[in-house]
Amino acid sequence: MENDQSLIQMQLDYDGGHILHETVRWSRFLSIVGIVALCFCLLMFALVGTALLGVISKLAPGIEELGGLAAGILIVVVLVFFAILGVLVYMLYRFSTLTRRGIDHQDQTAFAAGMKCLKTYFLVSGILAILGLLFNIMSLAKLF
Amino acid sequence: MENEQIPPASPSLDNFFNISFDTATRAQVRQAAVWAKICALCAFAGYAIALIVAFFGRLSNLTDIEGAQLGASFRSGSILGAILSAVIGVFINYFLYRFAVSTIKGIDAMDNVATNDGFNHLRRYFRILGILIIIALCFLVLGIGFGIMAGVNRY
Repeated sequence: MENDQSLIQMQLDYDGGHILHETVRWSRFLSIVGIVALCFCLLMFALVGTALLGVISKLAPGIEELGGLAAGILIVVVLVFFAILGVLVYMLYRFSTLTRRGIDHQDQTAFAAGMKCLKTYFLVSGILAILGLLFNIMSLAKLF
Repeated sequence: MENEQIPPASPSLDNFFNISFDTATRAQVRQAAVWAKICALCAFAGYAIALIVAFFGRLSNLTDIEGAQLGASFRSGSILGAILSAVIGVFINYFLYRFAVSTIKGIDAMDNVATNDGFNHLRRYFRILGILIIIALCFLVLGIGFGIMAGVNRY
């Protein structure tokens, strides 16, 4: 029975391989741009973090009463945000690298790992999209 | 005629036939497609909400403080921005949605053509995103350039 199952397998044909090759090329470009942009944003946050805290304390006057705790909360929130985005771009990069290696070297394990990274990328994107939609709905409820 | 040598087949062409979508890989690809579909549907709903907010939302704070004229121009700007972002976003996410639908269909039916069609839509999705990022980077470079030129001219 298992032999029958293994015989019925989908093979990656020439068209599929060509399409995936180009897909990983673009996803690699996107991931590299994303990593550079994230590093740049992190650097900017490190440079203007104090000024940012001043702006936030102006927008929410009660926050300055918290003192050092407010800065700590802001840093944690920003780091969590950057960590999530970092996982996202890293998964995209891993997808492109592993899938390309899988196709080029006939490496089934690398190809499967690449597909797993694609799944993780869309999983994180999906969770972020659901959260974004919830915030959108909340803003809609606030406006009307 | 006998000496005529047959050109060797392209190694990359051969490579593609030795990669298979085994059970585990198919499950991963299917889950990726399901989450991609959720992403696309959330994006469609998000753009619809953004359009509703732009068209029918109140701008009470701005109209009270800055005056009716500024409020009207801000509203038209926000409507234009919402329409533009919705058009671009729906166009991009349509390919993500097509990737999800075709890939799920292909994986479930063990259909190579439908799976390839799905990955082709993913390729288009990534390509459009990449082109938009290149355009955005060009605008950023131009903006920085104009900013520097304006600064140099001032001093």
